[in-house]
Amino acid sequence: MFKLKVLLILSLLFTNITHADEPYVEDSLLEKISNKYKIYAKKRFELLQETLDNVRYKSDLEKLEAVNDFFNEVRYSSDIKVYGKSDYWATPWEFLGKDRGDCEDYVISKYFALKYLEVDYKKLFFTYVRSTKFKEPHMVLTYFETPKSEPLVLDNYNRKIFPASQRKDLTPIYNFNGDILDEADKKNEKSHKKWDELKLNMQRKKI
Amino acid sequence: MTLYKQTALLLSLFLLIILTTVLVLNFQSVNRGVEERLYEDAKNTATSLSLSLGGANGDLSMMSTMINANFDSGNYRKIALVDVENNPLYERVTESDLVVVPKWFTKLVALRAPVAFANVSAGWSQVGILHIQSDSTYAYKQLYSILMDLLISFAIIAALSLAVLNLLLHAILRPLKEVQKQATAITKNEFIIQENIPYTKELSDVVLGMNNMVSKVKAMFDKGNEELKAHKELEYTDEDTQLRNRKYLIDRLPAYLKVDASYEGGVNMIVAFNGINEANERIGHQQVDKLFVAIAEIFRKSTRDINESIVARINGTEFSIFLPGYSESDAIKLAKSIQKSCFNAIDSAGLNQHETFVCIGIYEYNHKNSISELFSRSDNALAQAKFNNEHIHLEKTDTAVEVMGKVAWKQLINKAIEKSRFSFVSWAVVDIKNMKTVHHVLSINLILDKNSSYGYAQFMAPAIRSGLSCDIYKKIVTMLFNDSVSLLGASTYSLRLPQEYLQKQETYHEISELLRANASMLAFKLIIELPDRLVRQDSKNIREYIELFRRYSIDIGIFEFIGESEDYQYLKELRPSYIKAQSSYFLTQSDQSISSLRLITDSIGISLIAVGVSDMETLEMLREKGISIVQGKITETLELD
Repeated sequence: MFKLKVLLILSLLFTNITHADEPYVEDSLLEKISNKYKIYAKKRFELLQETLDNVRYKSDLEKLEAVNDFFNEVRYSSDIKVYGKSDYWATPWEFLGKDRGDCEDYVISKYFALKYLEVDYKKLFFTYVRSTKFKEPHMVLTYFETPKSEPLVLDNYNRKIFPASQRKDLTPIYNFNGDILDEADKKNEKSHKKWDELKLNMQRKKI
Repeated sequence: MTLYKQTALLLSLFLLIILTTVLVLNFQSVNRGVEERLYEDAKNTATSLSLSLGGANGDLSMMSTMINANFDSGNYRKIALVDVENNPLYERVTESDLVVVPKWFTKLVALRAPVAFANVSAGWSQVGILHIQSDSTYAYKQLYSILMDLLISFAIIAALSLAVLNLLLHAILRPLKEVQKQATAITKNEFIIQENIPYTKELSDVVLGMNNMVSKVKAMFDKGNEELKAHKELEYTDEDTQLRNRKYLIDRLPAYLKVDASYEGGVNMIVAFNGINEANERIGHQQVDKLFVAIAEIFRKSTRDINESIVARINGTEFSIFLPGYSESDAIKLAKSIQKSCFNAIDSAGLNQHETFVCIGIYEYNHKNSISELFSRSDNALAQAKFNNEHIHLEKTDTAVEVMGKVAWKQLINKAIEKSRFSFVSWAVVDIKNMKTVHHVLSINLILDKNSSYGYAQFMAPAIRSGLSCDIYKKIVTMLFNDSVSLLGASTYSLRLPQEYLQKQETYHEISELLRANASMLAFKLIIELPDRLVRQDSKNIREYIELFRRYSIDIGIFEFIGESEDYQYLKELRPSYIKAQSSYFLTQSDQSISSLRLITDSIGISLIAVGVSDMETLEMLREKGISIVQGKITETLELD
């Protein structure tokens, strides 16, 4: 039994070390991003890596703040302006590469960065909300400490993280987590149209 | 299997495999489409229902009501709501009773209705996950209907395709059928020229090649035919009188001097002219030759109405008038008439009747006489005639002392016919080139008791005399077809059928009935030998026989061939397996005649067989003449492989 425990710990340690060594954006992809979006884009990704490395062993809250702060520095721009489409879910590489995007793009980039930092993805949700201030549909990333606890809202309009109850300007409509749905039905490759498209683009390393 | 069948089978198989594959793929695609549709429906419902459930603010009773309302619409197999920790909150499941489609179909098609999931929240809070699975009943019904439609469509397409394929193959392979027909004809030694040259290059080359070959073989045959006819004229005809010559008579005599000859006996008349040298001196050679032409005409006229008579000039001054079945009294009358006519002719030629006159020796022969016996006895009669006043002398044949009288033979043969007391015996016909038996010739014995029997030569002459030969043949032909299994010793047998039997009115019907009933059960290959004399007549009767034998795959052989036909085209029509002639016939033929005969027979695949070969000397002479298949006593002494 003791041997088994030692083996388990060793394997976990090895996994962590291996993961820690892996950059958020691999070198070859970074090279491509650099070629496409020039040197400043590369610098942004290097800065992101540095930010993520700094909070790697910190609490979830610190990770949330670091990631939220980092991505909220990106300029907002509508999909129609950036991609010529009314609604497009950009990959984190497109978002940071272009250094602009709309609310879904912030949510996506924050979600995958936090996943990289090993924040339990089951605690994270893409939340469709209505902004009462701008009177328009909006999306934020929500973090649930426990399934029944009050979520924290990571928004790009209001750059600071607040508990949901303090965000009176937002009316929640629908929570969604593609990974959870995928896990519920591993046989089916489809779960959510936009999420499925995004997964495909990520697999293809779309930049 | 023919090329048509092989191609048709292969293409049909190919077509059916393609159609089946298309059918299966089509159905699988439809199946996938239906499954996808089921999922999409479930997914759409899951999303919209999950949004609706969000409005219930986590009130389970409200959410259950909403789920019930959706579920009862009847298009779902399962709707379940689980909380964030995967504990069931509410569930509705229905069991589909798939009565709309046969059971075999549900077993055959495993339709998987996928489950769609959606997150359910109430305000900012998580409620859980909604599971929705569509009801597959409708999908099964739809799939079954599609499968039936597909099957019907494909069955129609397959039937139409096969019909078109069949038509196309027939059209494409029609020239090949013609080629095959021509090739089969060549194998059977039938030579046809294909007029329609196929369009397909390969087939056209084959047809042109075969046409060329057939033309050459035809030319060979025609050349042989012409040459043989020319040689026959030279070899069998007396140049001055256009009568037959001695050689012809000698070649024809074996057919009359044999145990089963049509006539038991007859008359051979030798007409000799005396004082020809004096006549030559008196009126000159040319006038004497004219006298002989006039005399030949007298002979022709005198024998015109006598059946099977042969008039031959046997040397410069002697003529033979051979009259089978002719009586001595008629012969004397005929001799006197001929003598008188000759005297008149001599007189008209301006010759002295005391110096130049005619002597006639008549020999009443018996069919058991040999040729030399016939000639020596005839010469003897002529010698006697020269010394008597009338210059006509009749010499009678020695009457052999018969052990049994005519009546006793008749009774014995009748009883044998009645009790089937005949047994088959056979002897080999051997190809001396490779020392192998070609076939066995059948003969018959008349059984007396367990230990003794009469041979064919012994009982056949009395049978002919008693008019029972046809009855014997009728009996043995019946025995042969009804009990062929008892002759299992060899693979091929030949049976000689005499002219008298074949020409009998009821024989054709009897043989055709026997063949109809027994030909398929014949335990060996049978060759029926027909006399050349009968075959070359090309009568309706003989054509019917040939047609009949061919219908039952019975080969035909020719016996007693002496090559006296005016034309040998009948051999091309008949295409016998072989021609049998006396060994003496082959030996007395000139090399040119044999060569011409070989040209004819080789071009249409006929073997030449020499019969009556009894010693090695004859065998060697035949070999030198190129005749390598022999029949006769010699075959008993040959060591076969």
